[in-house]
Amino acid sequence: MVRLITHNLLACHAKGCTSNNFPLQFKDVQIVVRESEFNPDFLRGFIPKIEWPALVSSSRELGDTSLSDQLPEMLDDAFLKTLHRVLFEIHVEEGVMICPNCSHHYPISNGIPNMASSVTLLIRGLPYLASSWLNMKLANDLKIS
Amino acid sequence: MAADFVRWWTVRWGSCDARLSSSATPMAPPVTITSVDASSPEAYELANVHDVYDQIAPHFSSTRYKPWPIIATFLQSLRPEWVGLDLGTGNGKYLPFCPCAIGLDRSRNLLDIARTAGGMTREVVQGDVLENYWRPGVFDYVISIATIHHLATPGRRKRAIQQMLSAVSPDHGRVLIYVWAVRQDEQSKRTIPTTDSSQGQDVFVPWVLSDDQNRIFNRYYHMFADGELEELVITAAGEIGLYVGQGRQEGIEIVQQGWERSNHYVELRRYRVQG
Ligand SMILES: [Zn+2]
Repeated sequence: MVRLITHNLLACHAKGCTSNNFPLQFKDVQIVVRESEFNPDFLRGFIPKIEWPALVSSSRELGDTSLSDQLPEMLDDAFLKTLHRVLFEIHVEEGVMICPNCSHHYPISNGIPNMASSVTLLIRGLPYLASSWLNMKLANDLKIS
Repeated sequence: MAADFVRWWTVRWGSCDARLSSSATPMAPPVTITSVDASSPEAYELANVHDVYDQIAPHFSSTRYKPWPIIATFLQSLRPEWVGLDLGTGNGKYLPFCPCAIGLDRSRNLLDIARTAGGMTREVVQGDVLENYWRPGVFDYVISIATIHHLATPGRRKRAIQQMLSAVSPDHGRVLIYVWAVRQDEQSKRTIPTTDSSQGQDVFVPWVLSDDQNRIFNRYYHMFADGELEELVITAAGEIGLYVGQGRQEGIEIVQQGWERSNHYVELRRYRVQG
């Protein structure tokens, strides 16, 4: 699941991408809203960790405009319920997250974001695939002779 | 030599006759010694860990699980407003016991199970424990249970520990790591190829798929020697400039370390004196 509680903690990790690498921008998203249990104590404890401007801009990218530009001083129940919905009830099921600095794309499918770059995985896998192919060929050649 | 290149293989376990005559709970096939292809540990892990888990994932049962005592006590000691990271979450069996944790794993098929672990929506992320995808120090705690023993070199295991130390809060971040040990519990049903617990050992651990073919999948593990995990933690911390011990301005305290149910564990706490 990518909900904004997770998204607000994520940053791009591409090699050399160390500044302006947060928040990742959503694109082509499909969203499902699911109710979940309201836990005001957790929210009060979690608020100091939130990067507020990032949460506001990301929630607006997802079409939710209920958060104000500034974190309110009064953390009353009405505000906490709004925050709860934004952090926990908006599920991004499909889409892409894009690094604002290096434009790296992190795909989301069936609610699961893939932070491991597929390009990296492919390159890492190549030496092995090559060696296993050679080995298979060698084994065949030996059998024939 | 050829075996080094074999990606993963499946063999029929025993003949038909042997299977028919075996009891309802057959002994697990023995653990065997292996050696890592050092030229490409990533590819080695891809073939002997990640691909295997992706294939056997559908056969992991989602039955209720009771954490071992040290893990249970650790999880109960966390504050309810804390946020954590479960590195190598697998099918997410610890997520229901964590106050609020994001599960990370390389296996997409395991994550498809983990995302609803315990009958609730869970936050899961596909990724590599050697990378850090997070704002630095943003987590209150990290657990990594039975994960870094799947990394194929000491350097990679060390790097995973460094990522854990960097992921948690410099003021109070807590870390719990479990790895498989050469020193085995008397109740262990595994036949292992070594008894010298002063030496770590790279092995293949067979997983028997209980379908009509009883196929065997070999997973790579590094069995840790006595003291190896602690030593690795100290080196890992030192390399990123973190003092191990109490009484400094900033550092890491080894809260406890030991051996439980054929596993070594270490619990760490980051601290920083204010002012
Ligand atoms: Zn980037």
